[in-house]
Amino acid sequence: MTVFKTFLKIVNKYKGTIILYTMMLLVFGVTNLNTKETTSFIETKPDVVIIDEDNSKLSNNLVNYMKKNTDLRSIKESDIDDALFFRDVVYVIYIPKNYQEKRLNQEDISLKIKSTNTYEGALSEEILKRYLESEKVYTKNYNNINTIISKINSSLQSSVNVKTVSKIDTKEQSRISRYFNFASYSIMAVVIYIICLVLTSFKEKNVNKRIIISSTNYQEHNKLLLYSSFVYVFLIWLLYSLLGVIIFKNEILNLKGIIYLGNTLIFSFVALTIALFISSVINNKNAISGIVNVFALGQAFLCGAFIPTEYLPDTVLKIAHILPSYYYINSNDILSKMEVVNLINLKPVIFNSIILLGISILFIILNNVVSRKKQIVG
Amino acid sequence: MFLHNFKYSLKILIRNKALLFWTFLFPLVLGLFFKMAFSNIEKQETFKVIDIAIIDNDAFRNDLVYKEVFKDLGNKNSNNYMFNIKYLNELDARKLLSEKKISAYIDFNKEDLVVNQSGVNETIVLNVINKINTNKKIINDLIQENNYLEINNLLTSDIKLEDESSNNLSYTMIEYYTLIAMSALYGALISMTIINYKLPKIKPSGYLVSVSPIKKSIMIIGDLLASLLIQLLGIGILLIFLVLVIKVDFGSNTLKVLELSFVSSIAGLSFGLFIGSCLNTNENAKTGILIAITMIFCFLSGMMGITMKYVIDKNARFLNLINPANMITDGFYSLYYYNTLDRFNFNILSLLIFSLILIVLSILSLRRKYDSI
Repeated sequence: MTVFKTFLKIVNKYKGTIILYTMMLLVFGVTNLNTKETTSFIETKPDVVIIDEDNSKLSNNLVNYMKKNTDLRSIKESDIDDALFFRDVVYVIYIPKNYQEKRLNQEDISLKIKSTNTYEGALSEEILKRYLESEKVYTKNYNNINTIISKINSSLQSSVNVKTVSKIDTKEQSRISRYFNFASYSIMAVVIYIICLVLTSFKEKNVNKRIIISSTNYQEHNKLLLYSSFVYVFLIWLLYSLLGVIIFKNEILNLKGIIYLGNTLIFSFVALTIALFISSVINNKNAISGIVNVFALGQAFLCGAFIPTEYLPDTVLKIAHILPSYYYINSNDILSKMEVVNLINLKPVIFNSIILLGISILFIILNNVVSRKKQIVG
Repeated sequence: MFLHNFKYSLKILIRNKALLFWTFLFPLVLGLFFKMAFSNIEKQETFKVIDIAIIDNDAFRNDLVYKEVFKDLGNKNSNNYMFNIKYLNELDARKLLSEKKISAYIDFNKEDLVVNQSGVNETIVLNVINKINTNKKIINDLIQENNYLEINNLLTSDIKLEDESSNNLSYTMIEYYTLIAMSALYGALISMTIINYKLPKIKPSGYLVSVSPIKKSIMIIGDLLASLLIQLLGIGILLIFLVLVIKVDFGSNTLKVLELSFVSSIAGLSFGLFIGSCLNTNENAKTGILIAITMIFCFLSGMMGITMKYVIDKNARFLNLINPANMITDGFYSLYYYNTLDRFNFNILSLLIFSLILIVLSILSLRRKYDSI
């Protein structure tokens, strides 16, 4: 109990670090996605700005059409360039003065636009062109502005029915997987950093001398340290699981949710074995901070904790195969897209779990080899 | 005496491995991670051919417009190529959709567009069908008016738009700019480390320095120059790495990039000088505070997601106006994105004012301490 109490005392000294990584999980893992999506079809409406200097019936009709088909934003003209760069808007249309007059007089007139030249920018342009083509024909063939507008609007009416077949709310599920994916970074950092620091504290020269002369058997002492580490990792897993349950409520209280939590428990165990290995190799507290940062951040960037794996290049994903976070995140992603939870669908998740356990066994063996070598040297 | 102090300050800094790791190596490693993670992210924004299926029924086969338009849109050699089309029966199309091998299938018999979920691909398919339907309605109207010439015009002429967008729209550049900001502010660790050696409360060497006859101003200048040398070396290595390895685009004004890097280094050092001299606490606490403040600054300037910079700029501009990481990031951003230098000059001026205030406060704090002895 003395060892366990001391262990917890040192953990308590570093509680700021645990709070910091947990706060990061709550800020980046939870608040990044919106939840308005449902299983029914909602058109993607690109964010568009229109600067209408004409303010005529014809230009107003164009504005109304764009309002229906895009998210028309109101942004100060001086802020438009920043908004485009940061993708707050993807398309800007400038309607010049005398637009209606020139159109009706068949004068050659072109609209100035600004675009992010992205997928959504191209979509906005297609939406705009659809209108302009119609407008071009009717302004040529009719003279009365009201007739023109009515003809344009009638030609733009849609008669297509859109049906959605997916039965799961993919957005809510991806929110859950995003939380657990980001948790891989927090768990890796909190487990490795704290356990390494605590175990290094026990190895400090003066403390170590005291331990050696105490009546407790050396092996017994090591066993107690190992148990304490297990308890600590379990508490971290419990904390992140509880936070997940509080945040996602009913969405996670089902079989799939239990698999998410089980997957996280296995991953936490892997983090523990890595922590034990690092602490047996390195005794310098300053070095631990650097190694943990590089190791945890590296895994987070390369395996999809920060950026979804579908955005990562193939070569990066291939490299990521040697890192445990990849298999953990891959399981979370598979779960988020799984419509029916059954043994066949769960096969890849089970396979990933076996690899994770294999990695942890590898680190346990490596740890034993290094410890034995150190003992021989000692 | 100045040279002596300068030489020993350099020695202290070069021998501090942890310091060299955080100021030299860590930004490079982080830059490499950024490159690996972000290299594909902007490619996701660009248009890719969409996989769709069309139900091969009478409604489709007998409609010449649909048939011809989709033939063109599915032709790899056409300028309008945007769909990879499979002509299937409904059962097969549904199977491919459920396996997510296609984004949507179209059944012209029921006028149905069937999709898996909401998304840009699905909206593009819907928009194309709507566009075809609009053209069909227009053609019908023109046929009623016997205006066959205009039908030909409609099918052949294209709408012209004047594109005035900037070519420099790569938003991931901001991440690399924040990396330079972080590196510059981590440089504060350098000046703080060296100042700590002169403070009796922090290091025993501080007693020695305090009672030595050397003029404090000469000593501090020597310390700062040694710190600046190390800091410039670190920033220089980072800049070379970003330009040559990561291929970061800083725009065309190289001199201004160097000017901003230099001023950023001074801002970082003055920040460390301020923390080192004004905070009355131990070395570890000072380091913790410095790193925490730096990370908050970098977070607000967009390091953990560039949207944050935009959100703060838009809604709490004052926060970013006093944030040195944002001054640095925004300076590089303005060089990359804008053609004018107004915004860049404003950032340079802000950094200089920031540095001056901190240096003055630090000198006042150091003077007060030594005068009282």
